[in-house]
Amino acid sequence: MKYKLVPILITLSLLIVFTTGSVYSQNVDKLKYPKLNKLEVPNVEKITLDNGIRLYLLQDNSLPIFHGSIRINCGGYLDPDDKIGLASICGTVLRTGGTSKWTGDEIDEKLEAIGGSVETSIGALSGSARVNILSDYTDLGLEVLAEILRNPVFDKDKIDLAKVQARSEISRRNDDPFQIALREYRKIIYGTNSPYARHPEYATINAIERTDLVDYHRKYFKPQNIQMAFWGDFNRDDLLKKIKTYFGDWKKDATTVPPLPQVDYKFEQAVYYINKPDVNQTNILMGHIGGLTTDDDYPARIVMNNILGGGFGSRMFNTVRSKEGLAYSTFASYTANIKYPGVFYAFASTKSETTGKCIKEVIKVVKDMQKNPPTEDEMRMGKDGYLNSFVFNFDSKGEVVNRLMRYDFYGLPDDYLFQEKEKVEKVTADDVITAAKKNLHPDAMRILIVGKSDDFDTPVDKLGLGAVDTIDITIPSGEKPKEVSVSNETVSKGVQILKQAIDAHGGLDAFKKVKSVNIKSTLTIKGPGGNEMSLQQEYLRVYPDKSRAVTKFMGMNFVEITDGTTGWKTDRATMKVVPMTEDDLKKKKVEGQRNYIQIFGAFDDPYYKAVYDGSGTIGDTPVDYVAIVDKDGNNICRLGIDQKTHLLKVRSFMGEGPMGPGTIEERLSNFTDVQNLKVPMTSEMYMNGQKQMTSNITSFIINGDIPANSFAKPE
Amino acid sequence: MKITASKLITVLVITLLLSTSGVLGFDFSKLEQSITKHVLKNGLTVLVMERHDAPVVSFVTYANVGAVDDPKGFTGLAHMFEHMAFKGTTTLGTKDINKELELIAQEDSVFLKLREERAKGRFADSARLESLTTAYNEARDASYQLVIPNKFGNVIEREGGVGLNAFTSMDETVYFFSLPSNKVELWMALESERFLHPVLREMYKERDVVAEERRMRTDSNPIGRLIEEFQAIAYKAHPYHNPGIGHMSDIQYYSRKEAKAFFDKYYPPSNLVIAIVGDVSTDDVLKLAEKYWGRIPYRPAPPRIATVEPPHKDERRVVMEDPAQPFYIVGWHIPEATHPDRPAIDALVDYLGQGRTSLLYKNLVKEKKAALQVGAFVGYPGDKYPSMVAIYAMPASGHDNTEMEEEIFKEVEKVKASLIPDEEVAKIKARAKASFINQLDNNQGIAMQLAAYQTRWGDWHQLFRELDRINAVTAEDIQRVAKKYLTKDNRVVAMLNTSGS
Repeated sequence: MKYKLVPILITLSLLIVFTTGSVYSQNVDKLKYPKLNKLEVPNVEKITLDNGIRLYLLQDNSLPIFHGSIRINCGGYLDPDDKIGLASICGTVLRTGGTSKWTGDEIDEKLEAIGGSVETSIGALSGSARVNILSDYTDLGLEVLAEILRNPVFDKDKIDLAKVQARSEISRRNDDPFQIALREYRKIIYGTNSPYARHPEYATINAIERTDLVDYHRKYFKPQNIQMAFWGDFNRDDLLKKIKTYFGDWKKDATTVPPLPQVDYKFEQAVYYINKPDVNQTNILMGHIGGLTTDDDYPARIVMNNILGGGFGSRMFNTVRSKEGLAYSTFASYTANIKYPGVFYAFASTKSETTGKCIKEVIKVVKDMQKNPPTEDEMRMGKDGYLNSFVFNFDSKGEVVNRLMRYDFYGLPDDYLFQEKEKVEKVTADDVITAAKKNLHPDAMRILIVGKSDDFDTPVDKLGLGAVDTIDITIPSGEKPKEVSVSNETVSKGVQILKQAIDAHGGLDAFKKVKSVNIKSTLTIKGPGGNEMSLQQEYLRVYPDKSRAVTKFMGMNFVEITDGTTGWKTDRATMKVVPMTEDDLKKKKVEGQRNYIQIFGAFDDPYYKAVYDGSGTIGDTPVDYVAIVDKDGNNICRLGIDQKTHLLKVRSFMGEGPMGPGTIEERLSNFTDVQNLKVPMTSEMYMNGQKQMTSNITSFIINGDIPANSFAKPE
Repeated sequence: MKITASKLITVLVITLLLSTSGVLGFDFSKLEQSITKHVLKNGLTVLVMERHDAPVVSFVTYANVGAVDDPKGFTGLAHMFEHMAFKGTTTLGTKDINKELELIAQEDSVFLKLREERAKGRFADSARLESLTTAYNEARDASYQLVIPNKFGNVIEREGGVGLNAFTSMDETVYFFSLPSNKVELWMALESERFLHPVLREMYKERDVVAEERRMRTDSNPIGRLIEEFQAIAYKAHPYHNPGIGHMSDIQYYSRKEAKAFFDKYYPPSNLVIAIVGDVSTDDVLKLAEKYWGRIPYRPAPPRIATVEPPHKDERRVVMEDPAQPFYIVGWHIPEATHPDRPAIDALVDYLGQGRTSLLYKNLVKEKKAALQVGAFVGYPGDKYPSMVAIYAMPASGHDNTEMEEEIFKEVEKVKASLIPDEEVAKIKARAKASFINQLDNNQGIAMQLAAYQTRWGDWHQLFRELDRINAVTAEDIQRVAKKYLTKDNRVVAMLNTSGS
């Protein structure tokens, strides 16, 4: 019944669509506009204090709000290579870590009680502080600002908090494919270690100490490096007096801040691929190095950008989105900075199955920009858009005053924007084509593809767009393996403790006779929402390097099989059996090396050094630790041996857990006699002090039958 | 043109808009007096505010229709129509309108046959499918021959328009941009025309674009997927159940027939509010509004949705496993925005989870260092109908969702067990006041708020009355609503656990 309505509505709708010729059906091109009211460019007062602080003041009493924006000449580009993230953490803890007068929490209370805010941060190229407070509380805003900039104490607890946050952000950085693409593309253009592209890792965050923050602040937070813009509801003379009270006695000195580094770039065609198997859409970025805003053809490039890849009606939008329906999000821009080159990039995100097609379309659009001169309509869009929207550069007081502060920092004249406008007015279609030919290099683009290659219409190595480099975005573990002090003394003690353990577990001869083990166990994992999940596992190992694990869960089989040179595993996403990667095989090898039966059995002819590594307790049990170290000094694992019973109580090693890499600790118990050995039937895996898994062995057979084809590719 | 699928941020912003007036000796009544409302004969409401700071003006068209109004089997249609509203009109975007409309009709008729055959699934006649597909592709390409792509947006950008965009939420569809202030007539002409003579050209290509938008926002975004699940279990009967962007198969099924029917039903002038804020003369604006918008004939506004979500008898919970890092969200059902309990709920949410001094931030982030982020917001997934208050948390590495949940519930129990100190209530009100003043700083924001309040309350003045609502809240009110709504039976939990553990 309900759907009976539909035909009636359709009839009605057809009438509406087809009824044209209404009185005012108009050609918008023929509209006549009144003259635009005069643009009053707000007058910003510039003052330099005796100590070198530069002020930019713009009074506006229309609303009772006081705003400040402070620029500090420093940035993450000054971070030492092993402490990337230092400036960023400094920027956070400046505010949260409190000052000699107030703790950070007290500042939070003061500001939030009145709905005000004072925030600080340090980005890659500059530091900043922002004040937003009702003008009745201007004094409080200024005092908090002065305290933070001049007397931060960098409270240890807040540094720890900032480091926890920074590490958590690192752990999440591969969750969003677009973020991955942006981050990695900057590295592809500027270089992995370039200050314009690099980012923190666990290790660089872990290395940051309080003294680093104190030093960073002491080095760069000086009056001569500081600009302050204030706008909003104040009286100019009053404010100036207050600023002098809070900042006037801050002493300048003769130090300077190192300049931004140079960029080296070589044009080349290349493809970079990042595998992201859990998405159905590919993120594509392609391009090369960009230019400077001071380049002669910068105004022509503004017009070119608008035509090529700006908003609605640009060539990228028209072709890739509207005409081909390949992408929702697509754009292109030849970007420029004042002091270092920008990036030229074209972006599109498209479904996996049209990846190759989309790349080709985008390249076509870029090439076309060099061949087909802009039409009259396009020139209007590219130029008139810029010129007609010029007034929007002045619709916010904050924007005006911040822009002036930035120009002043880089030594550009106040009327720089007006000069740029005059130049844009003169740009011709020829200028645009010349700029496109000169600056765009469609045959030498570096193309980054983030997606699921299994579903691509064209494999990345068949694109014919340059050599393919696969980028591994696995997040490197921040933990350094614990240093073990290797000496004659520690080695002989380590060997002795290990020997006692082997004897307690059944003796070396018994271990040497072990050729294979066949183990059935039940694994209990703390599942979603704290519920426990139970899995069944069958594990066959033939020493030294063959293993087969089949884990059953809810009727599904997950296999991991290796014969020492090749291997197979079940892909979790597709549930298909796929070959192991080099990486998987390497991991399997290391797993074998730290198997305790293998370690014990090799006592006579060890592939390792056993090194005494101190003592401790597991629960209430005192244990001695023996580090098992390979020839190169790498830590294979660490064994904790009961001082009384000499049984193996704990084994720990670096591994991959649910929260990323870290130390995994395996606690062993429930020792039972199996043939001539004493074997732990229960093991509990801990990570970061939290139990992740319990394994209970239900059957343990030594040198049992080995079914044929155990290590071949499973059916 | 985006859908606020991950509306978290929007909601956070809107929540902060609790307002105030007459503070600090600042006279808001003057501001209020500079706003004019006029209703055209066809039912269109026009709001104008003069602000002469800079020669610019912002425009908002606020349509009282959202994803909640999507017909069954056509989820995402409100959003699809929003995309189509950028495709031009009978006078804009075509080389020959009469020829184009003929070709569009052919394209539709072939597509409907193709769709019917496709819907047979395994029983479809493959030869017929193939021939229809070929015919459809030909008809589609033919109709596109006459299109001048993106002409609508093109004209606006060329004339200096900035911020041209739109969004579709569960409750409303909002179109907006700004122009130099001498071009009010351009907006009047273009904007009225797209709701008078829309031509849904290139629709079948645009569906692919929307499908990509879905892949970007939802399918390839773990939190986007989690939130879709959260909404789905939170509502069984009410259409807040459905994702605003639509299900993939629905997106690929739409035809122009449904989109047009949708337009006819939900876009009468009586269901629209337009707001114009900037360097304009109110008289001129109203004259132009009559001239251009007055052309649209009166049609009655569509009815509200009658379906009511039945009270839940027990907690609902969904767990998603994904390689991404963990994310936790819990929501409780609450009444819609205009309900008398809402100011107290807003205050409760502020106290629990907004800002560095909120209970949850202090506990989970500052003290335990267990969360990267934690926050509370109100008004999800929509606010026109009974809604939710929600708390989300992103565990710091080494911490998990179970811990987030325990701590969140602990703090929730605290606010139920004892009264919030009076000075904390005063702080909540002070914060609301400051946010209110801050949002009066830009044309676009003011236009959006005026239109929103006019739509929701039937009176834009309510924007300036929100202060009185929140100032009336007491500690007892906050405790009462906490006890009333933040109960176990009333709650919905969704979490993303990292797989491969």
